Amino acid sequence: MLIGINGFSSFTELKKELNVSTGTIYHHLDTLSTLIKQKADKKYYLTELGIRAYDSIRNNMGSTSFDISKTDYNSFLLRGLMHLTPKRIIVPNKKPNLLVIISSIMILILGGIFCALNGLYPFFLLFGTIPEMPYAPLFNIVFFIFNFFVFFFIIKTICWIFYKKKGNTIEFLNTFAIIFIPSVMYLIIHYFFIVLNIIEFTFIGILDNIIMILFQVWSLWLLTYSITTYNRLKIENSLIISLLLHYGGFSIILMISI
Amino acid sequence: MNIRKFIDLRLIGIVGSCLLIMSQFSSWISGLTLINIYLITTSVSIEDSFLYLFPLISGIICFIGTFLVLYKLEYKLNSVIINFIGLGFFLIFIFKFIPKEVPYISNPEIGFYFAVIGALLILLDILNVLKLNNNLEEGSKN
Repeated sequence: MLIGINGFSSFTELKKELNVSTGTIYHHLDTLSTLIKQKADKKYYLTELGIRAYDSIRNNMGSTSFDISKTDYNSFLLRGLMHLTPKRIIVPNKKPNLLVIISSIMILILGGIFCALNGLYPFFLLFGTIPEMPYAPLFNIVFFIFNFFVFFFIIKTICWIFYKKKGNTIEFLNTFAIIFIPSVMYLIIHYFFIVLNIIEFTFIGILDNIIMILFQVWSLWLLTYSITTYNRLKIENSLIISLLLHYGGFSIILMISI
Repeated sequence: MNIRKFIDLRLIGIVGSCLLIMSQFSSWISGLTLINIYLITTSVSIEDSFLYLFPLISGIICFIGTFLVLYKLEYKLNSVIINFIGLGFFLIFIFKFIPKEVPYISNPEIGFYFAVIGALLILLDILNVLKLNNNLEEGSKN
């Protein structure tokens, strides 16, 4: 991968990056002799077959970077969540797409509008009310967009400080709005429950709560998937970041509502 | 001293979910259990009454989640997601219960503490499970 990314690599660079003994590197270079070749300048290059292998790995990066056990992956829950993940959009090493950017802006505007209609304030992936706050729809919309950038900034900072992973900021930001899709969908459903005046019914009230929980799980999964894809973190570490931020956000909303 | 040598830390999830279930049947405020409050609320406003069953639902779901990872460590992501769904019910309950009962919550009883400690233990269990290595189980068997 190192040679594929840089185009070539010296023996010293390989040793420094891989942090293994000289003998081990020679052994592996010998094993991979069909894929890697040393040229006259003493540097290591990919052979034609090596370039093909590298391209193939890079194209399938989205599926191979997830270290999930087969038993876990084949389960009903994860398979369901994987079906709900836009894997063709959340892909590493992909240039920002105009359609994705427009969709992201639409998600932000729609989220802001329905936040305003429900009279809710977002906090990361959660929503709450601020007591004694006058109703100001425009403020809700601005707050939603502000929340988006603050949430993004916090996640990037955590990845950078705790896991020393910079990742690709532009690609991550480009598709970051996707993780808000379930939240926006919940806001829309909740608003229609209120407009139709059926939220007071026992069944609808419980249904509203269940939808909220399930959509939060979906959001959290999309966030985890995005962090893993763009910041090259292990899925477990991405889940830790997502969960801690989620529960941290909940604690703050609870304190505000009291 | 490495505590992992003596205790399987995955058990804290089981303890946490049992505490959550127990909290349903312990007194929360003014000597009333959540079951009592549920029955009282059912006769007044049925739409709000189900909220008081959420800690029990949460405890049962989290028990399934934590049991799953004890059964097979390879199911750890499923376990985390199930625990998250379970905790979601508890968080909704706390979010609606605390602002409503703020005047009484200054003097909470054992049920409240059971529930809060139970939820925290489940959260710790989630973090512990995520930090566990998939090969741990195989390693310990050998």
